[in-house]
Amino acid sequence: MDGLLDMKDLIAYIAKALVDRPEEVAVTEIEGEQTSVIELKVAKEDLGKVIGKQGRTARAMRTILSAASTKIKKRSVLEIIE
Amino acid sequence: MEYEFEGKTTEEALENASRELALQPEELNFDILEPGSAGIFGLVGGKKAKIKVTLEKPEETNNENGIQLAREALEKILELIPVETTVNAEQTDGKIALSIEGDKSGLLIGRRGKTLDALQYIVNKIVNKALDKKTYVVVDSENYRKRREESLTQLALKMGDKAKKIKKPVSTNLMNPHDRRIVHLTLQEDIDLDTKSRGDGLLKKVVIIPKK
Repeated sequence: MDGLLDMKDLIAYIAKALVDRPEEVAVTEIEGEQTSVIELKVAKEDLGKVIGKQGRTARAMRTILSAASTKIKKRSVLEIIE
Repeated sequence: MEYEFEGKTTEEALENASRELALQPEELNFDILEPGSAGIFGLVGGKKAKIKVTLEKPEETNNENGIQLAREALEKILELIPVETTVNAEQTDGKIALSIEGDKSGLLIGRRGKTLDALQYIVNKIVNKALDKKTYVVVDSENYRKRREESLTQLALKMGDKAKKIKKPVSTNLMNPHDRRIVHLTLQEDIDLDTKSRGDGLLKKVVIIPKK
Protein backbone atom coordinates (compact mmCIF):
# COMPACT_ATOMS: atom_id res chain seq x y z
CA MET A 1 0.00 0.00 0.00
CA ASP A 2 1.17 3.52 -0.77
CA GLY A 3 2.33 4.94 2.53
CA LEU A 4 2.26 8.52 1.28
CA LEU A 5 -1.46 8.46 0.93
CA ASP A 6 -1.66 7.54 4.59
CA MET A 7 0.38 10.59 5.62
CA LYS A 8 -2.11 12.92 4.01
CA ASP A 9 -5.03 10.96 5.42
CA LEU A 10 -3.47 10.98 8.86
CA ILE A 11 -3.11 14.77 8.95
CA ALA A 12 -6.51 15.28 7.33
CA TYR A 13 -8.21 13.05 9.89
CA ILE A 14 -6.65 14.83 12.86
CA ALA A 15 -7.24 18.32 11.43
CA LYS A 16 -10.88 17.59 10.59
CA ALA A 17 -11.51 16.33 14.09
CA LEU A 18 -10.12 19.53 15.61
CA VAL A 19 -11.69 22.28 13.54
CA ASP A 20 -15.19 23.78 13.36
CA ARG A 21 -15.28 23.64 9.57
CA PRO A 22 -13.94 20.24 8.53
CA GLU A 23 -15.21 20.73 4.97
CA GLU A 24 -12.58 23.42 4.49
CA VAL A 25 -9.65 21.22 5.48
CA ALA A 26 -7.35 20.58 2.53
CA VAL A 27 -4.16 18.56 2.65
CA THR A 28 -1.72 18.44 -0.24
CA GLU A 29 1.63 16.83 -0.55
CA ILE A 30 4.71 18.07 -2.29
CA GLU A 31 6.96 15.14 -2.86
CA GLY A 32 10.70 15.69 -2.70
CA GLU A 33 13.52 13.25 -3.25
CA GLN A 34 14.04 12.53 0.40
CA THR A 35 11.46 14.63 2.13
CA SER A 36 7.80 15.18 1.52
CA VAL A 37 6.10 18.36 2.55
CA ILE A 38 2.56 17.91 3.79
CA GLU A 39 0.66 21.16 3.47
CA LEU A 40 -2.35 21.70 5.66
CA LYS A 41 -4.89 24.37 4.90
CA VAL A 42 -7.88 25.19 7.08
CA ALA A 43 -10.52 27.91 7.30
CA LYS A 44 -9.05 31.17 8.60
CA GLU A 45 -10.98 31.02 11.85
CA ASP A 46 -9.80 27.46 12.46
CA LEU A 47 -6.11 28.30 12.20
CA GLY A 48 -5.77 28.65 15.95
CA LYS A 49 -7.29 25.21 16.47
CA VAL A 50 -4.64 23.41 14.44
CA ILE A 51 -1.79 25.49 15.87
CA GLY A 52 -2.88 25.57 19.51
CA LYS A 53 -1.50 27.50 22.46
CA GLN A 54 2.18 28.18 21.87
CA GLY A 55 1.99 25.88 18.87
CA ARG A 56 1.30 22.84 21.01
CA THR A 57 -1.27 21.27 18.70
CA ALA A 58 0.92 21.77 15.62
CA ARG A 59 3.85 20.27 17.53
CA ALA A 60 1.80 17.23 18.55
CA MET A 61 0.73 16.70 14.93
CA ARG A 62 4.36 16.95 13.80
CA THR A 63 5.42 14.42 16.43
CA ILE A 64 2.76 11.95 15.29
CA LEU A 65 3.71 12.59 11.66
CA SER A 66 7.34 11.92 12.43
CA ALA A 67 6.45 8.60 14.08
CA ALA A 68 4.51 7.73 10.94
CA SER A 69 7.47 8.79 8.78
CA THR A 70 9.75 6.50 10.76
CA LYS A 71 7.33 3.66 10.19
CA ILE A 72 7.19 4.06 6.42
CA LYS A 73 10.83 5.15 6.21
CA LYS A 74 10.17 8.41 4.42
CA ARG A 75 10.84 11.79 5.98
CA SER A 76 7.99 14.25 5.91
CA VAL A 77 7.37 17.65 7.38
CA LEU A 78 4.13 19.43 8.15
CA GLU A 79 3.53 22.98 7.00
CA ILE A 80 0.46 24.88 8.06
CA ILE A 81 -0.51 27.31 5.33
CA GLU A 82 -1.90 30.67 6.42
CA MET B 1 -35.80 -0.23 27.26
CA GLU B 2 -39.54 -0.02 26.61
CA TYR B 3 -42.17 2.35 27.90
CA GLU B 4 -45.93 2.43 27.39
CA PHE B 5 -47.96 5.59 27.05
CA GLU B 6 -51.68 6.31 26.75
CA GLY B 7 -53.75 9.11 25.32
CA LYS B 8 -57.14 9.75 23.76
CA THR B 9 -55.51 9.36 20.37
CA THR B 10 -52.18 7.94 19.25
CA GLU B 11 -51.01 11.53 18.66
CA GLU B 12 -51.78 12.41 22.24
CA ALA B 13 -50.05 9.28 23.50
CA LEU B 14 -47.04 10.28 21.47
CA GLU B 15 -47.12 13.79 22.91
CA ASN B 16 -47.19 12.33 26.41
CA ALA B 17 -44.25 10.09 25.58
CA SER B 18 -42.33 13.01 24.14
CA ARG B 19 -42.88 15.07 27.27
CA GLU B 20 -42.05 12.28 29.73
CA LEU B 21 -38.89 11.16 27.97
CA ALA B 22 -37.77 14.67 27.04
CA LEU B 23 -37.35 13.71 23.39
CA GLN B 24 -38.84 15.13 20.22
CA PRO B 25 -41.77 13.04 18.84
CA GLU B 26 -39.81 12.42 15.64
CA GLU B 27 -36.95 10.95 17.66
CA LEU B 28 -39.18 8.28 19.16
CA ASN B 29 -39.32 4.76 17.91
CA PHE B 30 -42.81 3.50 18.74
CA ASP B 31 -45.38 0.81 18.04
CA ILE B 32 -49.12 1.30 18.31
CA LEU B 33 -50.56 -1.22 20.76
CA GLU B 34 -54.14 0.10 20.76
CA PRO B 35 -55.21 2.60 18.12
CA GLY B 36 -57.92 3.93 20.40
CA SER B 37 -61.41 4.90 19.31
CA ALA B 38 -63.41 7.97 20.00
CA GLY B 39 -66.62 6.14 20.88
CA ILE B 40 -69.97 7.73 20.25
CA PHE B 41 -69.64 11.52 20.01
CA GLY B 42 -66.37 11.15 21.85
CA LEU B 43 -68.26 10.58 25.05
CA VAL B 44 -69.05 6.95 25.71
CA GLY B 45 -67.35 3.74 24.82
CA GLY B 46 -64.13 5.46 23.88
CA LYS B 47 -60.96 3.42 24.15
CA LYS B 48 -57.65 4.94 24.97
CA ALA B 49 -54.84 4.72 22.48
CA LYS B 50 -51.73 2.96 23.75
CA ILE B 51 -48.28 3.07 22.30
CA LYS B 52 -45.06 1.31 23.14
CA VAL B 53 -41.90 3.39 22.88
CA THR B 54 -38.57 1.64 22.54
CA LEU B 55 -35.42 3.52 23.49
CA GLU B 56 -32.16 2.20 22.07
CA LYS B 57 -29.69 2.99 24.84
CA PRO B 58 -31.52 4.96 27.47
CA GLU B 59 -28.77 4.82 30.07
CA GLU B 60 -25.88 5.80 27.88
CA THR B 61 -24.01 8.52 29.70
CA ASN B 62 -21.58 11.11 28.54
CA ASN B 63 -18.72 9.05 29.86
CA GLU B 64 -19.64 6.00 27.85
CA ASN B 65 -19.78 8.28 24.84
CA GLY B 66 -16.43 9.67 25.85
CA ILE B 67 -14.81 6.24 26.09
CA GLN B 68 -16.18 5.28 22.71
CA LEU B 69 -15.09 8.56 21.12
CA ALA B 70 -11.63 8.49 22.63
CA ARG B 71 -11.04 4.91 21.60
CA GLU B 72 -12.26 5.47 18.04
CA ALA B 73 -10.11 8.56 17.59
CA LEU B 74 -6.98 6.79 18.80
CA GLU B 75 -7.70 3.65 16.77
CA LYS B 76 -8.19 5.72 13.65
CA ILE B 77 -4.91 7.61 14.10
CA LEU B 78 -2.99 4.39 14.76
CA GLU B 79 -4.54 2.77 11.72
CA LEU B 80 -3.39 5.71 9.57
CA ILE B 81 0.19 5.77 10.90
CA PRO B 82 -0.05 2.73 10.12
CA VAL B 83 0.52 0.34 13.00
CA GLU B 84 -1.26 -2.85 13.87
CA THR B 85 -2.28 -2.49 17.46
CA THR B 86 -5.29 -2.95 19.66
CA VAL B 87 -6.64 -0.33 22.04
CA ASN B 88 -8.14 -1.20 25.40
CA ALA B 89 -10.29 1.42 27.05
CA GLU B 90 -11.49 1.77 30.61
CA GLN B 91 -12.86 4.37 32.95
CA THR B 92 -10.82 4.97 36.09
CA ASP B 93 -11.59 7.64 38.71
CA GLY B 94 -12.89 10.29 36.34
CA LYS B 95 -10.35 9.58 33.62
CA ILE B 96 -10.55 7.57 30.46
CA ALA B 97 -7.55 5.28 30.23
CA LEU B 98 -6.60 4.04 26.78
CA SER B 99 -3.86 1.49 26.49
CA ILE B 100 -2.24 0.48 23.24
CA GLU B 101 -1.11 -3.09 22.85
CA GLY B 102 1.14 -4.49 20.18
CA ASP B 103 3.75 -1.76 19.66
CA LYS B 104 6.83 -3.78 20.48
CA SER B 105 9.24 -1.34 18.82
CA GLY B 106 8.34 1.57 21.06
CA LEU B 107 7.56 3.69 17.99
CA LEU B 108 4.41 5.01 19.62
CA ILE B 109 6.20 5.90 22.84
CA GLY B 110 9.03 7.89 21.32
CA ARG B 111 11.91 9.52 23.11
CA ARG B 112 10.89 10.01 26.74
CA GLY B 113 7.28 9.38 25.84
CA LYS B 114 7.13 12.26 23.36
CA THR B 115 4.98 10.44 20.80
CA LEU B 116 2.71 9.03 23.49
CA ASP B 117 2.23 12.55 24.90
CA ALA B 118 1.42 13.88 21.41
CA LEU B 119 -1.17 11.14 20.84
CA GLN B 120 -2.66 11.82 24.26
CA TYR B 121 -2.82 15.55 23.62
CA ILE B 122 -4.55 15.15 20.26
CA VAL B 123 -7.04 12.55 21.54
CA ASN B 124 -7.89 14.85 24.46
CA LYS B 125 -8.49 17.73 22.04
CA ILE B 126 -10.72 15.60 19.82
CA VAL B 127 -12.77 14.19 22.70
CA ASN B 128 -13.19 17.51 24.47
CA LYS B 129 -14.26 19.21 21.28
CA ALA B 130 -17.07 16.67 20.86
CA LEU B 131 -18.21 16.58 24.50
CA ASP B 132 -19.54 19.35 26.71
CA LYS B 133 -18.21 17.83 29.87
CA LYS B 134 -14.48 18.19 30.48
CA THR B 135 -12.96 14.76 30.03
CA TYR B 136 -9.42 13.67 30.71
CA VAL B 137 -7.91 10.93 28.58
CA VAL B 138 -4.67 9.11 29.40
CA VAL B 139 -2.95 7.20 26.61
CA ASP B 140 -0.45 4.49 27.50
CA SER B 141 1.45 1.90 25.53
CA GLU B 142 3.22 -1.19 26.82
CA ASN B 143 2.78 0.11 30.37
CA TYR B 144 5.20 2.97 29.67
CA ARG B 145 3.58 5.51 31.98
CA LYS B 146 3.68 3.14 34.93
CA ARG B 147 7.31 2.24 34.26
CA ARG B 148 8.17 5.93 33.83
CA GLU B 149 6.47 6.80 37.09
CA GLU B 150 8.45 4.16 38.95
CA SER B 151 11.76 5.29 37.52
CA LEU B 152 10.97 8.95 38.26
CA THR B 153 10.08 8.07 41.84
CA GLN B 154 13.42 6.30 42.19
CA LEU B 155 15.23 9.27 40.62
CA ALA B 156 13.50 11.73 42.93
CA LEU B 157 14.44 9.74 46.03
CA LYS B 158 18.04 9.41 44.87
CA MET B 159 18.37 13.13 44.17
CA GLY B 160 16.70 13.94 47.47
CA ASP B 161 19.33 11.87 49.29
CA LYS B 162 22.09 13.61 47.37
CA ALA B 163 20.75 17.08 48.23
CA LYS B 164 20.68 16.18 51.92
CA LYS B 165 24.15 14.68 51.78
CA ILE B 166 25.87 17.61 50.05
CA LYS B 167 23.58 20.14 51.80
CA LYS B 168 23.08 21.98 48.52
CA PRO B 169 20.19 22.19 46.08
CA VAL B 170 20.22 19.77 43.17
CA SER B 171 18.16 20.08 40.02
CA THR B 172 16.70 17.60 37.58
CA ASN B 173 16.77 17.79 33.79
CA LEU B 174 14.00 19.63 31.97
CA MET B 175 10.72 17.83 32.56
CA ASN B 176 7.13 18.08 31.38
CA PRO B 177 4.40 18.97 33.92
CA HIS B 178 3.39 15.36 34.45
CA ASP B 179 6.92 14.21 35.24
CA ARG B 180 7.55 17.19 37.52
CA ARG B 181 4.41 16.41 39.41
CA ILE B 182 5.71 12.94 40.21
CA VAL B 183 8.99 14.39 41.56
CA HIS B 184 7.15 16.97 43.70
CA LEU B 185 4.72 14.38 45.06
CA THR B 186 7.46 11.87 45.83
CA LEU B 187 9.40 14.36 47.94
CA GLN B 188 6.37 16.13 49.43
CA GLU B 189 6.43 14.07 52.58
CA ASP B 190 10.12 14.52 53.22
CA ILE B 191 10.20 17.27 55.86
CA ASP B 192 13.91 17.91 55.26
CA LEU B 193 13.39 18.84 51.61
CA ASP B 194 11.68 21.55 49.59
CA THR B 195 10.95 21.26 45.89
CA LYS B 196 10.45 24.06 43.37
CA SER B 197 9.99 24.24 39.62
CA ARG B 198 12.36 26.52 37.79
CA GLY B 199 12.34 27.74 34.20
CA ASP B 200 10.00 29.05 31.55
CA GLY B 201 7.63 27.29 29.20
CA LEU B 202 6.26 23.82 29.27
CA LEU B 203 9.52 22.15 30.25
CA LYS B 204 11.00 23.12 33.58
CA LYS B 205 13.58 21.80 36.01
CA VAL B 206 12.72 20.69 39.50
CA VAL B 207 15.09 22.05 42.13
CA ILE B 208 15.38 19.95 45.27
CA ILE B 209 16.44 22.08 48.21
CA PRO B 210 17.57 20.76 51.60
CA LYS B 211 16.06 22.70 54.51
CA LYS B 212 18.50 24.11 57.01
